[in-house]
Amino acid sequence: MAADGVSRSDGRLGRGPGAPRLPAGRRWVRKLVIGAGLAGYAWAAASAAPFTSVALLCVLLPGAVIAAIAIWRPPARIPPPDRLDVTGFSYWAICVAALFEWEASAFKDNSLWWHPALTDLINPLIAPHPLKSAAILLWLLAGWALVRR
Amino acid sequence: MATRVITIIGFACVIIALFALEIIGRRRTTRIPTLGEWLGYLMRARAGRAAILLGWLWLGWHYFAR
Repeated sequence: MAADGVSRSDGRLGRGPGAPRLPAGRRWVRKLVIGAGLAGYAWAAASAAPFTSVALLCVLLPGAVIAAIAIWRPPARIPPPDRLDVTGFSYWAICVAALFEWEASAFKDNSLWWHPALTDLINPLIAPHPLKSAAILLWLLAGWALVRR
Repeated sequence: MATRVITIIGFACVIIALFALEIIGRRRTTRIPTLGEWLGYLMRARAGRAAILLGWLWLGWHYFAR
């Protein structure tokens, strides 16, 4: 996710603008440790069989952590733009609406083989364990990116 | 077979368009916001923030728990 023209906080511990900064070396170590932890979690979560309580927990746990961070320990947030160009945003709205419409038409047809839903196309792609792990890692990083917005 | 291919091409076109918008949005001289910018704008309000985070959670449940 980009933040061109938007100020970023660099190396803050995340409890407001006055929070102390870690030295650059320790920041890297911290990032490496967190990255390794997330990758390990993604790898473990990808081995959970679908439709099981373990798989559900593997999704709910990051959700609970993100919610707890957002509520009790919010990180320094990337300031949102003061206003949004309606014309510029409309391109996004059209594309997102088209995606939902295309998906909805597959649902309407009961997601038949000849008109698959996006899920039917993506699930086989992320079936191999490394790819599913990568997808889960991406999802976790997206959650962190969202909580900073 | 042809119908399936058309459906897949439809999805591919929309997804490519979304990536293209993100790339265009990163240029300084454009009016198109990046994904992060418009999501951030929607998340200014508490309700928008909750809705976007719930959408993220739903995505994880849909693809990884089911």
